[in-house]
Amino acid sequence: MITVTPRVQPDSQPIIDLNNLSPDQVALNINKLNLYYAEKQALQDITMSIPKGQVTAFIGPSGCGKSTLLRCINRMNDLVDHCRIEGEINLHGENIYNKNVDVAQLRRKVGMVFQRPNPFPKTIYENVVYGLRIMGENNRRVLDVAAEKALRSAALWNEVKDRLNESALGLSGGQQQRLVIARAIAIQPEVLLLDEPTSALDPISTLVIEELINDLKKKFTVVIVTHNMQQAARVSDQTAFMYMGELIEYSDTNTLFTTPVKKKTEDYITGRYG
Amino acid sequence: MNTWFKSGSPWVWLSAGGVSISLISVIGLLALIASNGLSYFWPSPIYQFDLKDELGNNSVVIGEIYDRETIPAAQLAHTDIVLVPGVETVERLLIKTGNRELVSLDFRWLLVPQIIEMTTPEDLVVIERRTNGNFYGRIDKVIQAGEEVSLAQLPELLERVNGFQADIDALQKENIGAINYQLERQRLKERKHALDNTLTTQLSQQFAAENSQLEQDYQVLEKQLLALREERARDQLVVIAMDGQKLTINFEQILNLHFNNQMGTFAKIGVFLSQIGGFVSDDPREANTEGGVFPAIFGTVLMVLLMTVIVSPFGVVAAIYLHEYAGKNALTKLLRIAVINLAGVPSIVYGVFGLGFFVYMLGGSLDQLFYPETLPSPTFGTPGVLWSAITLAILTLPVVIVSTEEGLSRIPSSMRLGSLALGATKIETLWRIILPIASPAIMTGIILAIARAAGEVAPLMLVGVVKMAPNLPLDGNFPFLHLDRKFMHLGFHIYDVGFQSPNVEAARPLVYATALLLVTIIVSLNMTAVSIRNKLREKYKMLEH
Repeated sequence: MITVTPRVQPDSQPIIDLNNLSPDQVALNINKLNLYYAEKQALQDITMSIPKGQVTAFIGPSGCGKSTLLRCINRMNDLVDHCRIEGEINLHGENIYNKNVDVAQLRRKVGMVFQRPNPFPKTIYENVVYGLRIMGENNRRVLDVAAEKALRSAALWNEVKDRLNESALGLSGGQQQRLVIARAIAIQPEVLLLDEPTSALDPISTLVIEELINDLKKKFTVVIVTHNMQQAARVSDQTAFMYMGELIEYSDTNTLFTTPVKKKTEDYITGRYG
Repeated sequence: MNTWFKSGSPWVWLSAGGVSISLISVIGLLALIASNGLSYFWPSPIYQFDLKDELGNNSVVIGEIYDRETIPAAQLAHTDIVLVPGVETVERLLIKTGNRELVSLDFRWLLVPQIIEMTTPEDLVVIERRTNGNFYGRIDKVIQAGEEVSLAQLPELLERVNGFQADIDALQKENIGAINYQLERQRLKERKHALDNTLTTQLSQQFAAENSQLEQDYQVLEKQLLALREERARDQLVVIAMDGQKLTINFEQILNLHFNNQMGTFAKIGVFLSQIGGFVSDDPREANTEGGVFPAIFGTVLMVLLMTVIVSPFGVVAAIYLHEYAGKNALTKLLRIAVINLAGVPSIVYGVFGLGFFVYMLGGSLDQLFYPETLPSPTFGTPGVLWSAITLAILTLPVVIVSTEEGLSRIPSSMRLGSLALGATKIETLWRIILPIASPAIMTGIILAIARAAGEVAPLMLVGVVKMAPNLPLDGNFPFLHLDRKFMHLGFHIYDVGFQSPNVEAARPLVYATALLLVTIIVSLNMTAVSIRNKLREKYKMLEH
């Protein structure tokens, strides 16, 4: 267990004590999570609480398990052969690894955006409403409203409103990534997982996405994995540093970057390895 | 030299050479088939040969030159032919003389040294007839309703006869055919009732009444038909053959009549095109050695389309199972190997399997279950177009499975993950994302399947193709598509005409023409599929990952 006391609070943020969250402040509760790929252990005893309506960043060197942890939250690791998971992740106090959990339902509540933009080879419009169509919504008017709302939330509406029926593959990389975010938020998830969302993008697109993340936390709980420490510092409220499958340090972002408690964290953020 | 090798240009030359060889062989093949096949339709000049044979007798031969070849003089040693000493080879011509009712063979070899004179008189005529093949000779008289009229009347009279022909065909095939079909159905219905022990006297009276009504209709139609035939047979043509014999040809026998030696180029092109049209749209005559090949075209296309409809869903479903659902274990590997090996099984083996399993077992059981009234004559328990399509579907199944699987595995996993992350289940992802993206690959499989199936003949000989099918599998009688019927096929037609006909020489150009047609049909089927695939490709163009 990590004991961290946040010292500096970002402006206009409610005071959150990561070790002492009230149940309605918690979005996700990860409890003693172990993950094995065949015999190799990839996550060791991860325990943490992710607060609601905030941006939480996972940082760490390559192969430290940050993406694996992220994928545990919407059970994407189920798709990996020989992957075994112990422990629990609680969403609303219910363990998502319970046997009776409908994985598709879970993924509607916990949306995910991947490293590379992966729009479907359909029109922009069909991409955005894909999740809604899956849920059985086929009323054109409802879809139109939802698509516009999602595209506005993803700061893409003004760029694509005149070409909704053109292929999504004609968009630029940054636009595609925002489209994918729009697609994820169109189904109104509670948690949005971003797996290195800007690593394949140019600096300007990265900036736009980062601004977008700031807006998104008003409506969603955002968990972001990034290998870019500056980005974590810019966008997140809480940061978790992971190393070799272990959660080394988890505290609010300012504390972690200014006064890390653990030696490993300090080494990493000062660039001694990683 | 060494640097030249290192530069890679030898490989460029080598691969370019490979491409050129393939191109040249394709073009050469098409050119050979096309030139040999199309020349069959071109109205060639009709020659009159004045001959002096070895006994010193003069004779006249009229006909078209089909072929010429050089033979060694020694081959003629046993004949009485006197050759100039020292000559080692003799040229000879193959002449199509027609007039099958006068001479036993409508082809004849002429030795060039025996030909005194070779002319193309303008009054020579070639008459294509319904029976007995072509007539070559001269027109003596035109007789209209028993009275001689001038030659100028000829086109008008021909027009009149052709007008009747359409009526007669319609009457024979549609009306009388429909009545026969209904009579047969009535008989089967009655028999079915008899078998089920539900045939009451009332019912059988009803059947008898309906039958007699049909019989009456038939009588009326038959009278009409006879009247038409009589009308058509009103006029005659008296012609003179090459040996001076006079012959009367009824107009109803005449399909067309051309003075080839009088025609200019444009007239020849006209005849050429109309001959091609006839070839594509007419029924065959004279044991398939003359006339058109329409039933064979129809049968080929219908069978291939049926095959496509059957093979596509099965192949795609099998590929999806193998790629998406089957575990990655030894059994799956074994299955995959089995599928690939299935593609290597000789096609005749599929034919034997189709005959044994589909025709006799499945078809036989179907007959006993659903068509007991027709037994012992089988309905589905005999080769037919359905069994052919299914047999070829099995034959082409591996192709579709392999290319669909290939397409499925080329889809980046990000597509799958993206869809799953939005709360789609596996089947929804498959249906909405994976299959559309894989559709070009599926089409590729179907294209290859069509290409293979359309050219396949061996298995079809066992499961449905016949030399001459009296009815098309599709007609105006309910249920319109008769899957139990046998059909004609261009590939088999080539074999039949080329190797099984009594008159191989006569049929040779027809073989080329049919081959050209078969290639054209396969290419156009393929082109259609390719253009569909290209549209799909454009639609589901993937990112350059």
